[in-house]
Amino acid sequence: MSASPAAGDTASIPATNGVLTGFGLCVRLLLRRNWLRLLIWAVLLPLMIPVVYSSQQAAFPTQTARDSYSQVANTPAVAAMTGLPYSSGSLGGILVIKIWMTLAISLAFASIFLLTRNGRADEEAGRTELLRAQALGRYAYSLANYAVVGSLSVVTGLLIALFSLGEKLPTAGSFVMGGSVAGVGLVFVGIGALCGQLSSTSRGANSLGVGFLAVFYVIRAVADVRADGSRSSGLSWLSPIGWAQNMRAFGDNNWWPFLALLAFTVISCAVALRVETHRDLGMGLLAERPGPARASAFLTTHVGLVLRLQRTPLAAWIVGAVVAGLFFGGVATAMAGLLDPSTPWAKAFVGDSQNMLNSVLGIFGLFNALLAAAFAVQILTTARSQEAGGPLELELAGSVSRLRWFGGHVLVAAAGSAAMLLLGGWLTGASSGGVISGLTTAGASFAYWPAVLLMMGVFTFLYGFAPRHSVSIAWAIYGAFLILALFGRLFSLSEDAIRATPFGAVPRMPAEKFSLTPMLALTVVALVLGALGIWRFSTRDIESE
Amino acid sequence: MSTTVAAIEVSSLRKRFARTLALDGLNLSVDQGQVTGFLGPNGSGKSTTIRILLGLLRADGGNARLLGGDPWHDAVALHRRIAYVPGDVSLWPNLTGGQAIDIIARLHGGADKVKREELLERFQLDPTKKARSYSKGNRQKVALVSALATNAELLILDEPTSGLDPLMEEVFTECIQEIKAQGRSVLLSSHIFTEVEKLCDTITIIRDGRTVEAGRLNELRHLQRSVVAVSLDRDASVLVGTPGVNDLVVDGKHATFTVSEAELGAVLAALSAYSPHSLVSKPPSLEAIFLRHYSDPLQRPVSTRTAGI
Repeated sequence: MSASPAAGDTASIPATNGVLTGFGLCVRLLLRRNWLRLLIWAVLLPLMIPVVYSSQQAAFPTQTARDSYSQVANTPAVAAMTGLPYSSGSLGGILVIKIWMTLAISLAFASIFLLTRNGRADEEAGRTELLRAQALGRYAYSLANYAVVGSLSVVTGLLIALFSLGEKLPTAGSFVMGGSVAGVGLVFVGIGALCGQLSSTSRGANSLGVGFLAVFYVIRAVADVRADGSRSSGLSWLSPIGWAQNMRAFGDNNWWPFLALLAFTVISCAVALRVETHRDLGMGLLAERPGPARASAFLTTHVGLVLRLQRTPLAAWIVGAVVAGLFFGGVATAMAGLLDPSTPWAKAFVGDSQNMLNSVLGIFGLFNALLAAAFAVQILTTARSQEAGGPLELELAGSVSRLRWFGGHVLVAAAGSAAMLLLGGWLTGASSGGVISGLTTAGASFAYWPAVLLMMGVFTFLYGFAPRHSVSIAWAIYGAFLILALFGRLFSLSEDAIRATPFGAVPRMPAEKFSLTPMLALTVVALVLGALGIWRFSTRDIESE
Repeated sequence: MSTTVAAIEVSSLRKRFARTLALDGLNLSVDQGQVTGFLGPNGSGKSTTIRILLGLLRADGGNARLLGGDPWHDAVALHRRIAYVPGDVSLWPNLTGGQAIDIIARLHGGADKVKREELLERFQLDPTKKARSYSKGNRQKVALVSALATNAELLILDEPTSGLDPLMEEVFTECIQEIKAQGRSVLLSSHIFTEVEKLCDTITIIRDGRTVEAGRLNELRHLQRSVVAVSLDRDASVLVGTPGVNDLVVDGKHATFTVSEAELGAVLAALSAYSPHSLVSKPPSLEAIFLRHYSDPLQRPVSTRTAGI
């Protein structure tokens, strides 16, 4: 009878000396907390298979079309971004080029973020303490976390294989396709587990995990660019993403690299568990570094503070513009190759090659503009988050006027977006292999600056008049303008209607001729909206949450 | 110094939010060189008043002057001469406490470097930690250090010690006493009676956006009954019905009751007939004054509150 008080909930104590007691309970808890996220990832990623497959089937309907594509598929930009094309003459191989890397990287992100969310973030918030105080085995919660997040990879991989089979793709290739994507997801379960032990904050754990992802991605990118024919260089074996690529779905269909991926996962999870049981709750192996005890003179200036607070997003967006610009340039070359009049497919697809190239470049300019506008809006929306729950009150209680305070954000957004447009535009031309000059594409891209300013004006206006809803409304308007500019013609919208939206109003140079009127109009509207918004912000109450 | 200009002068202040009337004719004044306690239940309008004084909110009616200026129009210039500690301090999560102190202090005319180091020492705050990892108390210390390190003429403090432990509260009390000694003015919103009793020259109690009690602490005490405990030579129930004796509690020969200042003489005379062995009289605590306004469901005008019962 003496054991009866404790026997209630723990009737099924396993033989593992209790280190797994409560594992099932933890799994159920984790599924309940994460089911929606898990479901979205597990449905969304495999669904890309039928969507992308049918679009590729439409783009390359005949074997002749696929053969001509395979001659031009292997460009450095494609190899660097999405992996070395190896079987580009088959629909399966084209599917791998178009979607494999996106699926693998997405699943890696999902693994890192989900693992941290349930692991380090809970420990940081003190919820783990609550759990550990219960009759719970030492390994139970973390192992349940690895198992639940790992099962996302397994399920996603299986669904990818099944959807591929559904498209009547070869059986062996379909399963290797699913297995290789799942393998990358599993590896990042292991990496996420380790990062959760290294850092003592969830932010730190996520950044470390994404850092590893970036390093492994770059290693394999270098390996794929330095390929020997359709074989990646040996460097590829230094990156787990490279291992998964070397499974070569719809090509060699190797399964043995999958064993390496599994082993990596198991070993890193085991190491993470061992570290976890040998450290204090709440601590990480990497101590949080102390920062400066004093603010520099630059930081105490108003623009200095805005720049410092936006340092990370600013750097990330600039890097994004650089990567996009390089990618656009690389693809433009491929397009030029595609348009070689000797290939019958090119002749069938477009009549006038020069026009086609210019329209492609025009679209790239628009992409640059959409990126820069998203950056500018994001920078400005931090003004609202600082008002809602942040330190705006502390700043305005000091000797800074509202105009100056908001003006700092406007300055960073305007200058940053201009830099992104010029840099991304110039790189498009510069990396195009001489197809077009960097100056031309920089100019074409910078022509969108008034459209970016208009988006800033829209947010500023909303921020003044409807602060509580400004962020969501501004993004909704941005989304609507984006869809109208990109797909307006597909919806058979009239040309005038598209021209009336900010991104549609700017001429798509170099395909279209420069025209000053729309830019002046955009700038004037932007200034009016902005001035009204700032006037209202200066005269309204500060609305914190 | 010609100190004819009050540090804070607020009269009939009104502010309405979408559905609620936050301030309904509020009066408040802080004279130069004075520490004024600003008390009231949660939601009574203390923070709204302070945010109007800081130019963060715009008043709908009434008058507010801060150091002789208009808190809305002259905000930027006035803020160089004041310091502010909010009740719930939110900092920039990825900056350190030390960086935040310098940024805030710079916005209020700059920190005294020696004083800054001394305050960090006294409040035992590590300035190299990221604000993200600070507890509520430590975030409050950041705001306190930056406010106290400036030479502001007026400090506006909104429940500045709500996250501090008793030792740190003591340090805070010392700091405010030093500031008082330097002749600077303080508006202190607080729920901690002992703190207000120790520091404040005058208090203002508000309720539902209206001032219900204001004046020097000593004067307010006169309006309250003292608590008297006596031991008599016979059963203390003889005191029942004695004019001026209120809230009587009898326990054998011991009794406690309350008595107003005006009737104390008559009550003492009546007591002497029962040859008391001991008599202890306690002045009314601020807590008693305050709690009456917290719990009183009626909003009775100030003048009638002692007359009844």
